[in-house]
Amino acid sequence: MIALIGAAGIGLLLALTLVRLHAGPTLHDRALAANSVVSKGALICAALAASAGRAEFVDAAFALALGGFVLNAAVLKVFRAGTFQAPLARGEDG
Amino acid sequence: MLQLALSVIGGGLIVAGLMLMAGGTLGLLRFPDFYTRLHAVRVADGLGAVVFILGLAAVSGDVGVALRLLVLAALVAALGPTMSQLAANAAHAAGLAPLAGDYRAPRPGARGERSS
Repeated sequence: MIALIGAAGIGLLLALTLVRLHAGPTLHDRALAANSVVSKGALICAALAASAGRAEFVDAAFALALGGFVLNAAVLKVFRAGTFQAPLARGEDG
Repeated sequence: MLQLALSVIGGGLIVAGLMLMAGGTLGLLRFPDFYTRLHAVRVADGLGAVVFILGLAAVSGDVGVALRLLVLAALVAALGPTMSQLAANAAHAAGLAPLAGDYRAPRPGARGERSS
């Protein structure tokens, strides 16, 4: 029961994070808010797993957390390089 | 008896985690520039997520689910600071300047009026 209440609270916070995702002035704000949305979805999955007593939902939470991390790291790398085909050799400025 | 103690401890941890995450998300909404928002959402929100998952592991009556939730808490605790460092480094390398000098938070309802 308390796990379901926790899931509802996380859902409310996820709605507040969507406001920042919509209104963020810079690209980096949006990347941060998007990763926050994905990790809050993982928390909702974990809360449903603890409420229903099913271990598969925890695996879904694992997938969301790891996938969100990898996706956000790749997106930040694209922001830094400015292209999808960054040169493999390291330049003078690193 | 043990079940009751675990429920009480888990409920307290879940409520504490929700309060920490509410503070972090309000900071993400209200803070003035990217670096302060990053500070709010990664410090308060990350700690709140770990506390929340530990509370879930305490209230879930199943040993398998509880062990997996403990591993998930360790994963979240490891990924949060790494992501914070990556985001701050990418924003700094992209030339996003932090807000410097005096800042007064805008009153609700007073639109577009910045001090200094």
